[in-house]
This record gives sequence, C-alpha cells and structure tokens, in this order.
Amino acid sequence: MGYFIDSFRAALELIFRFDPDVYFIVWTSIKVSLVAAFGAAAVGVPIGILIALNRFRGKQAVLMILNTLMALPTVVVGLIFYGFLSRRGILGDLGLLFTPTGIILGLFALAVPIVVNLTIAAIQGLDPRFFLTCRSLGATPAQQAWMILKEARFGVTAAVVMAFGRVVSEVGIAMMLGGNIRGFTRTMTTAIALETSKGEFELGLALGLVLLTVAFAVNGALFILQMRNS
Amino acid sequence: MSTAYLLENISFSYDVAPVLTIDRFEIAAGEIVALVGPNGSGKTTLLKQLAFVERPDSGTISFFGERSISANLIAFRRRVGFLLQHPYLFHTSVLSNVAWPLRIRGVSVRTANEMAVAALDRVGLSGFAHRRAGSLSGGETQRVALARALVIEPEVLLLDEPANNLDRESRRRTEEVVSQLNREHGRTVVFTTHNLSTWANLAHRIVNLHQGRMISGQSENVFDGELREGGTMVNTGRLSLRFTSPQPAGSRITVDPEKLTLLKTPPDPSCPNTFQGRIVGLSVSGDHIRIEVDAGEKFLVLVNQPAWDTLSHGFGDRVWLIVDEGSLTILP
Repeated sequence: MGYFIDSFRAALELIFRFDPDVYFIVWTSIKVSLVAAFGAAAVGVPIGILIALNRFRGKQAVLMILNTLMALPTVVVGLIFYGFLSRRGILGDLGLLFTPTGIILGLFALAVPIVVNLTIAAIQGLDPRFFLTCRSLGATPAQQAWMILKEARFGVTAAVVMAFGRVVSEVGIAMMLGGNIRGFTRTMTTAIALETSKGEFELGLALGLVLLTVAFAVNGALFILQMRNS
Repeated sequence: MSTAYLLENISFSYDVAPVLTIDRFEIAAGEIVALVGPNGSGKTTLLKQLAFVERPDSGTISFFGERSISANLIAFRRRVGFLLQHPYLFHTSVLSNVAWPLRIRGVSVRTANEMAVAALDRVGLSGFAHRRAGSLSGGETQRVALARALVIEPEVLLLDEPANNLDRESRRRTEEVVSQLNREHGRTVVFTTHNLSTWANLAHRIVNLHQGRMISGQSENVFDGELREGGTMVNTGRLSLRFTSPQPAGSRITVDPEKLTLLKTPPDPSCPNTFQGRIVGLSVSGDHIRIEVDAGEKFLVLVNQPAWDTLSHGFGDRVWLIVDEGSLTILP
C-alpha cells in the first residue's frame, strides 16, 4: 500500500510540476483523438443521415455490420492498417507508419462506425411528425438534412463525444501504427503500458490519472448533454 | 371557377388492403370542403395525398390543371399549407418555426422574420415570437403551426381535425382565420372532421368517407351487410334489419342518426327493427346531444336537448332503439 501511495504522490508531482514529457504525451493523445473524432464526424454524420433516411436493399445487413464494427478490437484495426501503411503495403509509399497521421487513420476507422451508428439512432429517435412536417413545408432533402442536424443535435454531439472517448482510451492502434516513439508518437495509453513494464510506475500512474480525468470530462459532457436533451 | 384538385382513379394502401379508393374527386378553387367520416375512414390519408406528402399507388392527381409527378412534388408542396392534427414544432423559438418555410424558399432572414411576426399576429399570438416552442400549450402550438402554414400564403390550406382538443379561444381564432382566408383571399380550404356538426357551417360542401371510399349520405352509422330473404332483410353480422318491400342490391347500409328513436321502456313487440342496448357514449355537439348506443352494432343517435331531457337517461343506462325503415339507405 505504501508503494502505491508513494507512487501516487510522485505522479501528482509530475502533473503539477508540469513535466514536459507528460504534457507532450497528453497533447499528442488529445490531438490525434480530436482529429480522428472530428474527421469521423465529418464523414460519419452524413453517412448516418443517408442510411437513416433512405430505404434500400440490404439496409438491415448494413446496420448489422455497423453494429459489429462498433465492437471492433483495436489491435485488428491496427493490424489491418499496419498492412496498408507498412513499406510493402499499398499505402507504404506515403511513409505514414509510425507517425501521428498513421495513428489518426487507424483511430478514424475505429470512430466512424460509432458516429454512424449513433447518428442513425439519434435520427430514428426523432418524432415521426418531424419528417412529415419538413416534407409538408416543402423542404428539399438537403434542407431536411440540415434541420435533422439541428433537431438531433444532442444525439449527434453525443455520438462524436462517445467516439472521442473510445479513441482516446484505446492502445492497440496507437501502439501498432504509432510505434510509441518518444517525443513523436507516444500517447497516454502506449506510455502507460511502456513505463509500467519498465518499472516507472509513477509516470504510468500520472498518465493514468490524466486519462481518467479526460474520461471523466467526456462522460461529464455526455451527462450534461443528456440532461439538456431531456 | 377553375379546379384546384382533380383526383382520378386513386388507390392507396399502407400494406395490402387499400385504405383509399377514389374514382373521381374534384375540388374547385376557392371552395371550402369538409371531409367527414369516422376514425379510420381515410380522411387523413386523403389529406396527405392533397398535401403531396404521400403518393397514390395508382391514379392521378392534378393541381390547378397540372399533373403531379415526382419532379414537381416539392414545388406543389410549397403551394399548400398543411396543418397536422397534432402539429410538430421544431425545438427552436416560435419565430424560427414560423420563419423556416420562408427561409427554405430563399427569403432573407429579416423579411422572413417580419412576415413571421405578422403571421403570429394574425393567429392572435403577437408577443410569442421569442418563446421556446416547447413551452407552449396545445392550443398555442396549434396556432403557431397555423401561422407557419399561413406565412407562405398558400393557395390551398389543409387542416386535419382542426377542432380537436382545442380550447375555445384557439378554436375561435382558427375558424376566423380560415373563414377570412377563403372569403377575402379566395383560397381553397379542405379540412377533416369526424364530427359533422363541428365546423360544418364553414364548409361549402361536405364529402363523406367510409372505409376509404366516398359515399353519399352521412358517414356515421354505416354498416357492411348482405341482403337476404329476397332483399327484405339485411344482415350486418351482428344484427338484422327488415324492410317491408324488397330493396335494390347493395353491400352497405346507412342509418340516419337523426331518425332513430330511443325509448326507456320496451316498445310493442310487433314493432319491427327494435333493439335493446346500452348508452356507451354521450357528448354535446352544437344543438344536439350525440348518444352512442351499443345494440349489437354501435349506433349514433342525434337528439335535440328537449328530447334528451324527456328521455332523462345517462351513461350505461339500458334503452330500446327503434330503427325506422325511413332512416335506412342501401348503398352499392
């Protein structure tokens, strides 16, 4: 217990002493996660709207696949993108392996199904009279889509927040596509894994505390959104 | 007078069974038409066809002489104001709700807001512009939705059960606005009601609907049935009604609710078409009392206040119903 308390004290010291190593790692994590989550929103929200509003053959199969992708193991995403980005891969010439951009690509792939699924759920949760009202007022499909974004804003924002929460806390993609390079691609989760294995429990714990704070902030934002929506 | 709508050979179904079958239906421009019928008779479905928010499975709808096709649906919708029975307001301010139909037509924010304020004033809600839509009462919601339908100055106004669940002030305002729209601007108005007495004085023409078809005569007390015994008896499946002479072939029968007789005590046993039942519904409708009697089939009986006072009965009481042959009409 004494070991844990000492480590905890040392971890707090690292945080409040504004240790540059710690804050660079935190910044890298938040940066790649934000870019991936907003990128996924830019792509996933329109896809979600299209799927929710249209009837087409195989829609149920698409929804089932999207649901499955939400539970995708991060190491599998890492593995697939490693195949694409490694020197022998089809995107090998871009030189993105072991770069922040490489991590962002993997995190983006992880976040898109979450955003799409939750956007569909948010739209399907809208009052059926909403769609009838839009049509009867003479809205074009684009005008209706814009109004959907406004009416389902809480649900759609929650989708993006959830996606951010998922990508900021994953470790498999960041490790396989980032390579955990100090001062370049090291993220909170990869640093925690590495430092703990090296016996640097204090640094691992400090990053763990920051990660917990981020997770708490994300859930707090979700909670506030849900409260405002209800 | 030009034709606002011409519907020909319309058929529409949500599933397999058709919910609307119309051979021909014409509405003149500037006419006020009441679509009357019981719940499930197809009134709202017909109104949605007239609003171009649903398309018929077969048949054609012409709007001011132009046939509706996929390419002109949005343009047609923009010429029609449609007030739903339970209107939906967007989760924004009242002003944004009313201005939105103008904004999507490319009207500038300033002009749209000015027109929206004027429309709100017209329905008696000036001062409501900056209220949240979600904070309004049912009557206020209905009037905001009416303002939203009127703000585009539609050529046709469609109202689904406009008299339902409204407070007296909202009902008076709505009637006044609709009447003025037609009288002063010559707009076409179509509204639905399941209650013939409500708003009936506004209508130039009453169209009765029963099971998705237009019928002559009233739309209440309409029963499916088959003629038997050489056309002198019709069986609805729950009761039989007798005629003194053979009737022409038909598959439905209507009973005039104002020609039915209610008695507190059993009539002479020799009296034909006498049924014992119970009062299962009571309401006041204009000058009449609407009495629903379950006598195997559910009958609507309309009586005036003095007749009701004489009967001095209440909900759940046992009564005898005499269906006079003169109240019966056989429909094809």
